This record gives sequence, structure tokens and C-alpha cells, in this order.
Amino acid sequence: MSFYLLIKGLLNRKVVTALLLLQLAMTLALLLNSILLAQQTHQQLNQPTGLDLDNIVLVQLKPTTASLRVYPALEELLNRQLAAVSALPDVVAAAYSNQSAILQGGNNGNVYLDGEEGRSNQPSVPMYFVSKDFFRVLDSKLLQGELPQQSVSLDNPVPPDVVITQSLARQLFADKPAIGQQLNRGRLAAVISDFYGQRSGTNVMFNSIQVAPPFGVDWGYSILLRTTPGRADVVRQRLDQTLRAVEPNIEIFHIRSLAEQHQRLYRNEYGLAMLLAILSALMLLVTMVSSYSSTYFHALKRQQEIGIKRALGASKNTIFIELLSENWLCTAVGALLGVMLALLLNQALAQVISIPALSGYLPLITIAVLLLCVTVATWYPAAIATRVSPATATKAL
Amino acid sequence: MEQFIYYLKVSLKGIKRAPLPYALTIFILSVGLGVFFANATFYYQLNSDPLPDKSDKLFFPMINLVPYQCTTDCRTPRVLSYSNVQKLSQSDIPSQAAAMYSADGYLRVNAGQPPLPVSIRITQRDFFTMFEVPLLHGSIWPDNSARHEVILTRASAEKLFGRTDVVGETLLLDDRNVTVSAVLDSWQMLPRLYDANNRNHLTDADDIYLPLETGYDMNYLSNSQSSTFDDTDYRQLSTQGRTGALHQLQYWVQLDTPAQQQAYRQFMHNLVMDEKAAGRHPSEPNNQLVAMQDIVSYFGGDSSDIKAFALVTLLFLLVCLFNASHLSLNRYLSNQYEFSLRRALGASRSQLQLQMLADVLLMAGFTIAGALLTGYAGIKLMNQLLPANRLFSDWDLPLLLGLLAIAVVCSYLVTLYPSLRASFGTLNQQLKE
Amino acid sequence: MIRLSNLSKIFRTELIETHALREVNLQVNEGEFAALTGPSGSGKSTLLNILGTLESFDSGDYQLDGQSVTGLSDAALSKLRNEKIGFIFQSFNLIKDFSIYDNIELPLRYRGFNASARKQRIEQALELVGLHARRDYLPGQLSGGQQQRVAIARAIAGQPRILLADEPTGNLDSLMARQVMELLEKINQQGCTILMVTHDPDQARRAGRHIQIIDGQLHDSTLYEPLAAHSA
Repeated sequence: MSFYLLIKGLLNRKVVTALLLLQLAMTLALLLNSILLAQQTHQQLNQPTGLDLDNIVLVQLKPTTASLRVYPALEELLNRQLAAVSALPDVVAAAYSNQSAILQGGNNGNVYLDGEEGRSNQPSVPMYFVSKDFFRVLDSKLLQGELPQQSVSLDNPVPPDVVITQSLARQLFADKPAIGQQLNRGRLAAVISDFYGQRSGTNVMFNSIQVAPPFGVDWGYSILLRTTPGRADVVRQRLDQTLRAVEPNIEIFHIRSLAEQHQRLYRNEYGLAMLLAILSALMLLVTMVSSYSSTYFHALKRQQEIGIKRALGASKNTIFIELLSENWLCTAVGALLGVMLALLLNQALAQVISIPALSGYLPLITIAVLLLCVTVATWYPAAIATRVSPATATKAL
Repeated sequence: MEQFIYYLKVSLKGIKRAPLPYALTIFILSVGLGVFFANATFYYQLNSDPLPDKSDKLFFPMINLVPYQCTTDCRTPRVLSYSNVQKLSQSDIPSQAAAMYSADGYLRVNAGQPPLPVSIRITQRDFFTMFEVPLLHGSIWPDNSARHEVILTRASAEKLFGRTDVVGETLLLDDRNVTVSAVLDSWQMLPRLYDANNRNHLTDADDIYLPLETGYDMNYLSNSQSSTFDDTDYRQLSTQGRTGALHQLQYWVQLDTPAQQQAYRQFMHNLVMDEKAAGRHPSEPNNQLVAMQDIVSYFGGDSSDIKAFALVTLLFLLVCLFNASHLSLNRYLSNQYEFSLRRALGASRSQLQLQMLADVLLMAGFTIAGALLTGYAGIKLMNQLLPANRLFSDWDLPLLLGLLAIAVVCSYLVTLYPSLRASFGTLNQQLKE
Repeated sequence: MIRLSNLSKIFRTELIETHALREVNLQVNEGEFAALTGPSGSGKSTLLNILGTLESFDSGDYQLDGQSVTGLSDAALSKLRNEKIGFIFQSFNLIKDFSIYDNIELPLRYRGFNASARKQRIEQALELVGLHARRDYLPGQLSGGQQQRVAIARAIAGQPRILLADEPTGNLDSLMARQVMELLEKINQQGCTILMVTHDPDQARRAGRHIQIIDGQLHDSTLYEPLAAHSA
């Protein structure tokens, strides 16, 4: 097989080759960036949340009558609902909270050390007002201090004690002792293991929790349940009925596992990655069609040439490999251009969405995929081309 | 005409001679255009101007009038407090002005009925004229004072009463009596630019409308963003909420001329300076007067996913065009002998061009059908995968015509180069080849 | 050199069977210059194709240089063609977008010669056909006679044992034709066996041996005086 003649052959068909190269390069660029995006989404969906996503069920609900949204009727309702869901089989623990974990945004605010607002302030830290079993539901590990055992009203002269997550504690106190320190929200009673709070926050693992009935439920509230492993689906099915039996004047917005909640949170990223993946597949298909047709027409136009080559001693295999190599060469050159184009596209995309930079072994894999597709697409027309009868072809005209 | 039908017949014969390359050309072109169409639809709808003659005259004034001195984040809050709005409302420069926010509530005709969850836009009188909301029955509130009167959309009137003429009927809104003062005609402002914070402009319009003062009296908190910058208790909206730094309001003013706009800027500046002098504006002034047409990008709510996808689909369309023209070139080259023969038999170039036109039309026909099909499927898929944009997936007439024009141009391009090569080549040489 | 025994070739379509060659027996010895003549459709091209292993046959045997070609794989047949047979076609069959040099080089590349061996052989062949100065031209830039000489150079560059020529002068005017014939005679004198299909009785006469084919049968096989005696 002669490289020199291959290149010569390609140069002789400048327009067609240029088109093919351009297309291959674009395909590779797109393919590469789609994979990057898909990888990123995958990583986001698999980043640790500090939560047992599959075995925690979330109910988001709201009383539909105004009288049930004010204390003390509200607290009584919350406790009745908790008692009812706790009594369900397979429920290990249940708690109410003004908001769920794993949200885009929600109820949040500043947290700082009393008197040191300027230095220590952490903005947009989620604030949870929960019942005391909240920590059991999340299966949080107690790292320092003691968890509050009593629910204290937020209007109490001494506000309820505060529990914060490890990352926030580290940010606020570094290595200094934290327990007993006074925060703007109250006295710090405990530090627990991290869990995923709000995506829009400065750090998704920053959370502050107080065992207290929520201020109000104008935005609805959450009931969170931990189930025995694998029983979340069974529990879910009973919840609607159970809660409505306790109090019919409620609207249940949704009942989900936290795993589902997590997926929804990244739905946009997932959707975009999926779309790009589908587009990449289409692009590969188009490339295959183009490889197929270019080989097919090329062989058709060069029947005579192939016949001559056969007469001069080229075996069917030689012709076959020659045709494949032509496309391989084209793909390789196109792929090189494609990697450059991919870098450009990557930069362009980085202007509008968050996408990791191109690096490592990824280009090699995509080039391999591209080569494979091109080979598959070229196989059939190349095989057909080798069947040209040298006797007929050399006799033509 | 008869002649043209003949040309069409010739085109069809050419297709029959080599159906696979033709089918592949159509396929590739359809897929490329279809994917492009799908994305172009979202791009067009998301960037469309719902109020073309007003979007440069409606402004959202934002001032940094908050009780803290900003240290790191000195951006002006995206929502205003009640007292901010009161101060801004003192100016009579705007021809129209309305403050607003939205809240969730439950509506029923009587206590026995199951509650209907509704989204309430709590706003002022000018809202309806400013955004050109059509009225079906009744009349809009005569002023901005508190009144237990709601305005229903046509859909919620039909849902509650089964009819639209329900002016004067009473309802229970979160267990409080309200009267229906008007019913709006079907109306959808897309994108809903007056509510661009948190990308709410992508969502449906609210179900009922309540006067701002009544909303505060009834302690409705915003379901989009409520921020307090002091120790205002947000359960005391009707009292502390009116005086404290509880920010949840959007405020739109209509400033018809550049002079008015300049005057209003000056007014905002003077206001902030006075407040500063009174010690109520500790931060550096950072006044913003954002036109409605710029509000989405000001809030950073541009649909970046659609933009990214637009970039990519455009590339894809290019690839498909290249590919289709390559295929089509090959097809023409294999038909070249016949083309030359025709010319040898006396067909003029213009006749061959007509033949080419027939080819283009035929190809455009197939391509448009294929592209619309692919585009439709693409839109359904995108609605599944990116549900946030689903309200922006409709084809309207100008869009459809634009898309058709693009399809015809693409078919023309794909046919042009090869057929020119076929019809302008040296006659002699081609016959000899 | 060539031995055909009872060789038959039948073309079949759904409707009819055509006996292109019937029970042909033929022996061509090393160094012979044989002319093959016959009317259109008589089977002479088929015979030439079979001799060149471009076509298969239905029965009988074909031995080339003492080796039967029956049952050889495509790769083996290609190798045989490449090493032992040179082709010259009526329509030259040069590859249009290859230079003269590249055209001649092609079979040598298939043979696996290294660059310097190829270069040496190409130079020799070009020298022989007298086109050394035109090595970088494209075929289209040469006259018909020159093109055919390039084709001959390509055929002999690999020093084949046998040269198969299918009406090599069919597309040439008489002057050019004579040049080509002289060239073929020269090659024959250097020891290469030549089998040439022709229409031209003069040319047939100039060849050392004249084989006539009619209706798929070798009718007459006349041995003339060796050519060398004539031209000496």
C-alpha cells in the first residue's frame, strides 16, 4: 500500500476531499464536546451528597386553608402528620422541615459569628427548621457537641440552638473549638456530617439547622422519611392516603425519593447532554453515509482504474485495503483538524454553558470511534468495488 | 405549464435511475434542517419580543436603597421593598407604573368546594394597560388602593364557574371573601418579561390578579423571591413589611421618550442622594434603569442551553449541507452523460436551467416534508429533555415561512453547484468522456 | 510457456448459452511472437482475458510457465499476473491522474520492489520506449502513440515472461502504429513472449506465428518463418 499514491489520489479530488475533511473535523469536534458534557453531567449526578438518596422519601405539601397555616393549629397538624407517617410499616424515622435538602434554592440567609459579621459572614446558607428526628432521617453523623432534643420556638427570647454541617464549621471556625460559640442564628450546639443543601449556595454542603417549628408555611413544607432499605417505593404508595386521612385540607405537591429529587435538580444538564449525544449519533450517521457514498461513487467512477490495477496485479484485497486506507487517511487528517476545531468549539461553548476543558485520552477514544464508524460504512462499497471485472473494465470504451 | 410538468417528469426519472443517492441526499438534508428547525423554534420564540412597540419604553428601576453597607456584593437587589416602591412612585414622569409580585393561594367558590391552587399576581392598576392585557368582562380597579376584588383570567373563570361572565360573583381566596371585578380575555405574554427574575419569564402567566395593597394586607409573601435586609418579621407583612427592608417587589414604569427616560434617571439620582443625605442609603449609589428588552440578560436568565445547542445545530446543518451537496454532485456526475446528450440534441442552457429549477422544487418538496417531520420530532424530544422551555415550542406563521424559505434555499444550494457543473461543462469533452 | 488443453468458456444468461471458446488447445513457446486474429465476437478477447487470468474458464486446463492456474486464489492469480504477464490494451488504460512515472511504477509497487529498484526499472523501461523526457507528464498531455508506448513501458517494467496485447495499434494512425509494432518486435527479440490480438493482416504477417480464431475454435495455426530471419 502506498501512502504517496493515497495522498496523491486525495489531492486530485480537492473539493470532495475538503468537504469530507471539514465534515469529519466538525463531527469529531461535536462528538468530543458532547462526551465532555455527558461526562460532566455524569460526574455531577454522581458527586457525593452525604445522603442515602434511595431510602429517603420527600413529601412536599401545604395546607389549603388559611387557618391551618397559623400556630398553634399548624404545629398540631405537623405533629399529627408525623405521628401518622411514623406509624407506617417500613418507616424508620420521620421529620418535618420547612424545606427539603437537594434543592436549587430555597430558604437561606447569612450565617456569621456574633460580632464578627464582616469577617466571618457566609451568605446564602440554607436554614432548616425541623423536628428533632430530622438528623435520624438524614442519618447524619454527629461530629461534635450534642443534638438538640427539644423543639424551641423561633420567637423564644433565647433562639433555638443551631446545628451546622462540617464544611460550614470548618469555614467559620477553622480548627478552633466551635461548640458553644454564638452565631447570629443562635448558640452552636452540634456539628454534623455534610449533606447536599442548595445548589445555588456558595457551597452545596453548607447547612444550618434548628429544631423549631417553621415560621410559616406559605411556601409549603416537607415531610422527610427514612425507610428500611429497598422499601421506599412501598412507603411512597401509602403516603398520599395516610396524609389525607390525617387532614384532608392539604395539597400534596409531590412525593419523591431524594434520588429522584437529585435527578430533577440536574435535569437541564442531563437534557442538554442527552440532546448533544443524540446529535452526535446523528452526526456519526451522516458521516457514515458520506463515507459510504464517497467510496461508492468513487469506486463507481474509477471502475476502469480499478480494473487496470487488477490487471497489473493488484489482488482484491489490495484494492479493498486501498479504498479503506483512503478513508482512514481522510479520517485521520479530519480527526486532527477536528481536535483543533473541538478546542475552538469547547471555548465557544464555555462562553454560554459550563463545560470542562478538553484534555487527556478523550480525543483518542473519539478518533477511534470515528475510525470504526468510517470503516463500517466503507466496508460494503469497498467490497463491491473489488468485484469489478478487470476484463470488462479495461475493455471499456 | 405542460412543459414544466415534463421537466418534473424528467427529474423523477433521474431519481428513479439512482434512488439511493437521492434518498440519502434528502435524508441528510431533512435531518440537518429538522434539527436546525427544532432549535431555531426555541431560539426564535425565546428571543421574541412580546411587546414590540413598547419593549424599549418599559423600564425596571432598581435602587440600592437598603439598610446595610455593602462590602463584597454591591449589586443592586433584584427586587424592591414596599417603601422603595413608594419612594419611586412619587415621580409623575412615567405615563404608567405598576409594582407587582406573585404568590400562591387557594381559591374556591364556597367553603364546600375543593380548593383550586392558583398563582396570584399581586399588582396595581396600570399593569393591564402597560402590558396590553385584553379585558373580556367588567372593569379594572379604578385606583391602587386596597379592595377585596380579584380579576380572573378567562381560564380560571371557566374552571371555577364554567362560564366567563362572572363579574360581581364572590369567591373565597384563602378563606377570605373577594369579589370578581373583571375577567380577562385569553392572554399570554411570552416570554413573560415583567417577571424575568429566577427565569420566571419562561413560565405561564398567573391565574388571578389582586391589588397590591390587599396582597400586603393579606400577608401574601412572594413565591419567587423575598429577602429581608433587617430584622423585619416576614409574617408581619401588612405592618413591618410595608416599612422594613423586606424586598419582594418588581416595579415597571413606562417612559415614552428619551427625555422622559433621562428625567427619570435624574429623579432616581436625586432620590438616592436625598436618602443618602438622610443616612438611609449607606451603600454607594448603584441605580439601574433596565429596559424590558434587556431585562433577561440583565438578570442572567439567557437560555444558555438553547444558545449552546444553537451553535451546535448550526454546525450540524453546515455539515449536512456539505454532505448533501457532495452526494448530489456525485449524482449529477453520474447523470452527466445524459445532460450532455440533451444539450447535443439542442437544449439551450436556459432550458437546462429550467430543468434544474424542477429538480430544486422537487428536492425542496421532499426536504421540507422530511425536515418538518424531523423538526416536530426534535421539538417533542426537546420538550421532554428540557421541559423548562416547553412553552416556547410553537410554530407560528412567520417562523414557519422563514423555515420553509431556508429549506428552499438549502435545496437550491445543494442542487446549484453540481448542476452548474453539469450544464456549463464543455459539451464536447463530456460526450467524449 | 502457454499450454491450453481442451479449454472451454461458456457465457450463460437466463435465455441462452454462448460457447465463447470450445475445447481450445494451444501451445505458445517461449520467445514466440504470436498474432491472434478473428472476426468480432469470435472469442479472441475472451481467449486473451483467460490467458491473462482476468477471466475464468469452465473446463479444460491452462498451464502458464509450467504451472496450472486452475484453483489458484485471487491473491495467487494477482501475483502471477503481476510477475509474469504484461498487458497492453487498445485504449492504453493509463490512469489519467497519475503521471507517466507513477503509471509505470504501479505494478512495481504491487510487486513490492523498493524505491531504488523501482526507479531503476522505470528508467530502463522509459529508455526503451524513448519517453524519458516525459516522465512527469500526465497521460492526457501525450499523443496516442506516446501513451501506448507508456503502456508498453508499464507492461515490461516488471520484466514479465509474456506480454498480452489487445489490438495495441487499434486506436493509432499508421505511423504511430508502425512505431509501436517496432517496439514490440524489439521487446520480443529481447526474449519476451508476445501474444497480440490484431485486425491488421499486415501486422499478423509480421508476427512469427498467426493464430486464427473463428466461433470459439482455433481454426488455423500457421507457423511462419521466424521474424528474426525477415528483418535481419
